[in-house]
Amino acid sequence: MKLFIKFDINTICSLFLKEKLEQLNVDFDTLGFGEIQLKTNVSNEELDTIKKELVPFGFEVVENQKSVLVQKIKDAIIEMVFMDENENNLKSSVYLSEKLNHSYGYLSNVFSEVTYSSIENFIIIQKIERAKQLILIGEMSLTEIAFLLNYSSVAHLSTQFKNTTGITPSAFQRIIKKRRENLK
Amino acid sequence: MRRIFNFNSSNLLRVIFVIAVFILLFISSISYKHNRDTHESSQLLLHTFEINIELERLISSIKDAEIGQNGYIITHNERYLTPYEFSRDKVNRSFVELNKLTAERKGQQKNLKQLFLLINKRYQCLEEALKYSNSDSYNKEKLENALQRGRVLMANIRAQVDNMKEREKQFLQERQANYDNEISLTPLFTVSVFLVALILIILSYRQISKDIERLKITNKKLLISTKLMDEAEMIGNFSTWQWDLQQDKIHYSDNQFRLLGFSPDAFVPERGTFLNFVHPDDKETLVNSMQTIKEQKKLPLIYYRIVRQDGSIRHFKSIGKLLVENEENAHIILGISFDVTDEYEQNIELSQRNKELEISNQELASFNHVASHDLQEPLRKIQTFISRFSEDDKKAISVRGREYFEKIDASSKRMRVLIDDLLLFSRTNTTKKEVVKANLNDLFQNAKTELNEVITEKKAEINSEKLPKLNVIPYQIEQLFINLIGNSLKYSLDNLAPIIHIGCVKVLSKNYPDVLNQNVKKYYKITFQDNGMGFDPQFKHSIFVLFKRLHSKNDYPGTGIGLAICKKIVDNHNGFITADSNPGEGAVFTVFLPE
Amino acid sequence: MQKDALHILLADDDEDDRLFFKDAFDDIKVQTKVDFVHDGLQLMEHLNQPDVVLPDVLFLDLNMPKKTGKECLIEIKKTPHLRDLIIAIYSTSSSDEDIEDTFVQGANIYIKKPSDFNTLKKLINEVITLNWHYHTSGLNRDNFLLSLK
Repeated sequence: MKLFIKFDINTICSLFLKEKLEQLNVDFDTLGFGEIQLKTNVSNEELDTIKKELVPFGFEVVENQKSVLVQKIKDAIIEMVFMDENENNLKSSVYLSEKLNHSYGYLSNVFSEVTYSSIENFIIIQKIERAKQLILIGEMSLTEIAFLLNYSSVAHLSTQFKNTTGITPSAFQRIIKKRRENLK
Repeated sequence: MRRIFNFNSSNLLRVIFVIAVFILLFISSISYKHNRDTHESSQLLLHTFEINIELERLISSIKDAEIGQNGYIITHNERYLTPYEFSRDKVNRSFVELNKLTAERKGQQKNLKQLFLLINKRYQCLEEALKYSNSDSYNKEKLENALQRGRVLMANIRAQVDNMKEREKQFLQERQANYDNEISLTPLFTVSVFLVALILIILSYRQISKDIERLKITNKKLLISTKLMDEAEMIGNFSTWQWDLQQDKIHYSDNQFRLLGFSPDAFVPERGTFLNFVHPDDKETLVNSMQTIKEQKKLPLIYYRIVRQDGSIRHFKSIGKLLVENEENAHIILGISFDVTDEYEQNIELSQRNKELEISNQELASFNHVASHDLQEPLRKIQTFISRFSEDDKKAISVRGREYFEKIDASSKRMRVLIDDLLLFSRTNTTKKEVVKANLNDLFQNAKTELNEVITEKKAEINSEKLPKLNVIPYQIEQLFINLIGNSLKYSLDNLAPIIHIGCVKVLSKNYPDVLNQNVKKYYKITFQDNGMGFDPQFKHSIFVLFKRLHSKNDYPGTGIGLAICKKIVDNHNGFITADSNPGEGAVFTVFLPE
Repeated sequence: MQKDALHILLADDDEDDRLFFKDAFDDIKVQTKVDFVHDGLQLMEHLNQPDVVLPDVLFLDLNMPKKTGKECLIEIKKTPHLRDLIIAIYSTSSSDEDIEDTFVQGANIYIKKPSDFNTLKKLINEVITLNWHYHTSGLNRDNFLLSLK
């Protein structure tokens, strides 16, 4: 006899994880998929036990919580840069610390520690990335793009573009255009 | 126009000639009629004359009889009776004659009959007189009576004859009057007809002489144009020919013979003969195109070679076309042949030059490559190895050694700058020149971005008026901006923040006849004005010369290539660059770029 | 930053340059594994092995014997399983046209070989960082252009 079963892996996983952690007497809250908040402080030995218990079932504790935080910072920055205008006038440091519930200093340190580059640098990269997209869409002039991305002037945008990518916005546009023609 | 006019003129002449012929026919028929009339009237005269003579003869015959009778009566000699007997015959003969002559005379026949009766009666009288005079039957009374009656009858006969004569005379007069009447109008008519004919002939003479005059002029023009054509063919090294396809006849212009190396009309051209002159390798082409001419009645442009008698090879180009006067039987091909040997040779020379130029360009490009890679490679390594000397390494060598080491470093750096600039200079010459429409404002912005570091460092203020969009080589114009602005930044005054103003106006080339190409009407004049140290105006030309420097390299680093590159770039764009300055007053560099 | 070391492949025929390159990578903080090939032919052979582990970034010298870097670049971009490689041109030439040309052919990064070891380290660091950002932040790789002189 054959049975076809439909199942939800998320439900299974979160139920299984809950069961396991309760077995180990760990008090916790589920924050979302793949992230849990331990309510009590656990010693390193206890943490090792938890890791060992979970490994046979395919669960692995992500070592560095800082990596997770960096990912969150990145996501926040991307969201900030790519959303249009609203809230854009907020200073990025304020925005990030409010959004991630950490002081900007802490975030900045963690980010640098993990990525060997600064948050500011990453914001610039993202903004230039956005500028690239807008340039390629071709509906806006450089002046408009500079305004949209909170640059004080076209020159400022051009300079930052050139400093980040090593080429000018117009050269970038030309290259991508030619490359696309090449592909055809 | 002329053709139509000529046609009219010849038609007019034709009409005039037809009229003239009719007039001549008319005149001749009239004179014929006159001749006949004259002949008729002379005949009439003769006739009347004959009648008169015959009448006289009749009377004389009767008189003969009377005389004979009288003689007999007096002498009774029988001899006197002979004339009397003869006269009777004569009278009868005359009478027959008269009867014939008066056949067509109205009234005269009747007169003649009366005359005949009278003559008969007279002869009766004569008979009676003879009878009564005879001795046998003499009767004096009756004789006298007969003689008396005879005399009266004789008078009557004469009267009748006179009457007839008178009648005849009258008839003649009538006819004469009639004739005169007819003939009197004729001269006037003849003269007027003659005059008309004369006028027509004069008119046609005038027309003919006019036509001849025109013909002469046309002929002269034709002669001139033929001559001109001939001269033009000789000067232009071409010839014309005609090929009558129907009669298969070919006609060459004089120059065609000359182009083939002959004197004009040296031979009679035929279809086959031409092939003898054609270069063996091109014969097939020619045979094919002759076939084309025959089948399609046209000759597309062909190129071929001719071998002259002296062995020299000439390059020819021919083209032909059907001469269409009327659609149906157009059969004459008009052709032109050009001797293009000179052009051909020039072309060969030109393409050879081009090839050489290409080769030298390639060499230059490969030199560029050598310079960019093979020369830079060791230098770069020298510099990298220098940079790998750690502070500890430096401490390990002597002070002097360190000093030498610094010098090596400085020299290798300078060599790098030189190579880089030299490369830049040669690149403005050799790289592909892709001219595109570019916004100079963008290029200016790029240049500013490039120079950002220095601008910030020197706190320079750079502003620009609105620049145009032009067809340029974008890299080069960007480089031009970088070099000119960079130059101004470099030679700024120590205690004064540089202010650079870039101005732009459209100007007419005729206002700058010395420096601008007058074939291009409008130029953009772009000025770069700074407040830097400026230069002595005597150097305004030499600053654009390669490796020319106004300052020692210790004061201002540089290679003396930057402005030479500017000049090269502006030259590449068919523009003009000039500089003006006085020491301490800043400098103005002016660039003219064609619109 | 990453569990596994970043895998770097350099194709350069110049021994000194390979040495500088290796030393520079040894000096930076990021953990890397650097491999070398000596010319274009060897590079293509290496990349076309069936069990090849593709590098995270391929550094490509333009001026190589047998097969030039540019030929390799064009070939790589035509090969489906290699098309997504991040390619950094590593060359002596600094002409804008050369740079633009290789970008158009599909290169992502253009590094002019510096004449100073520290600069080299700085450039390599910059490349690795940006590459990592592109790798981890979902940026559009088609727009990944970086020119370092």
